[in-house]
Amino acid sequence: MQSPRRPFTRRHLLQLSGLSGAGLLLNACGAPLYSDQVNQAFEPLNQRVEKIILKPQSLVPEYSASAVNPEALLINSIDGTPEIDPTTFQLIIDGAVNRPMQLSLADLQSMPLTSMIIRHVCVEGWAAIVQWGGIRLQDLAALVQPKPEARYVYFQSADGYYESWDLPSALHPQTLMAYKKNGAPLPAENGAPLRLASPIKLGYKQSKWVTRISFTADLMDRQGYWVDKGYEWFAGL
Amino acid sequence: MSSPASPSDPIKRPKKAPSAPKQALFAKIFHWINLISLLLMLTSGLQIYNANPVFGGRAGWHFPAFVTLGGWLAGGRHWHFAAMWLFAMNLLIYGIYIFITRRWKRRYASSSDVQVLQTGTNQKRRNYAWHRVVYTAIMPVLVLAIASGLAMYKPAQFHWLSGLFINWQILRTVHFITVPIVVLFTLIHSLLALKVGQFRLVKSMFT
Repeated sequence: MQSPRRPFTRRHLLQLSGLSGAGLLLNACGAPLYSDQVNQAFEPLNQRVEKIILKPQSLVPEYSASAVNPEALLINSIDGTPEIDPTTFQLIIDGAVNRPMQLSLADLQSMPLTSMIIRHVCVEGWAAIVQWGGIRLQDLAALVQPKPEARYVYFQSADGYYESWDLPSALHPQTLMAYKKNGAPLPAENGAPLRLASPIKLGYKQSKWVTRISFTADLMDRQGYWVDKGYEWFAGL
Repeated sequence: MSSPASPSDPIKRPKKAPSAPKQALFAKIFHWINLISLLLMLTSGLQIYNANPVFGGRAGWHFPAFVTLGGWLAGGRHWHFAAMWLFAMNLLIYGIYIFITRRWKRRYASSSDVQVLQTGTNQKRRNYAWHRVVYTAIMPVLVLAIASGLAMYKPAQFHWLSGLFINWQILRTVHFITVPIVVLFTLIHSLLALKVGQFRLVKSMFT
């Protein structure tokens, strides 16, 4: 077969330039390009799968104390670190519950302490193995007794941050309201006096400086600080 | 795909182009969807990469915007976790197809190709063997991209899978490394296809 040894014919070059042109157009220099529409089309499917694979009451395997890497846990916040006086701090738990409550830090610390060493995964791509200590949210729920219609849990933070979770994830045995990190009191920049910590949700779901927990029957318009900006609501791991 | 000339074939063929190679419709569909979904996965993946580079973290080198898709981290994630279905399901269906039709035995590299590469002297047959070996070798890389991606996407529910990658940095690195491998593969695969069957072979896969 004696076709000329010119693998790159003009025709081929034109085709290639067409392809790369399409690529440029498709990427439009890093433009969002239909990402909202793509999300609307696929997020329901992804969320359904996330709910199916979530094992609401089984423990995610934990790590050994030697695996903890304190420097890997980066600090993110929307507006610095709010100043909260731990002596006057009150956690409000209300909404669709039989017994709404206000708990001081002393009240919370008198409850059973759960400690876990888990991987904290940030949406940005980094992760850190952290030891968290705190109260299981399911223990708090047992106190306030959510009504049967409660399906979501809202978390309000002192800095204006807000988040909402599905009830099964919130009642997971490793979903903690944490006040300890790596064996020491929780530092202010990590969310003191009280923050969410869990191995089953991305970091942005784990609100810091939580002041109010509300059980609700419906998901409200304001679903979460980053969720309302375009990130996934379920964000399960 | 044209069958390779037999090494001992002494007959001079007329200088007329042989009949155009034909591809199975299923193979062509797989190839197109694979190409498009990989382009979406790679560009949206680099957008996600830029939020916190695997090498160097926030201070690390970032990819230029023109190779990224999604515009920002959330947009990149939306594209990535949508195109993953296209990419993974396409690969799965194709896997079932080549298994049922036994195509994996005929169309993928075999011991005879390896033998040709070791001892063969016919350059055409050697090129053809290289071509088959290279496109066979990309298959496990595509499966690895899915496995490492799933391990990072759902590290709690697929804890056993994440555990196979030892730690988070290794997991991220393995997942990322599939990008340069796929880009390099695309280049080599195109050149080998041209070398083995000229433009008509390339055309047969795309039309």
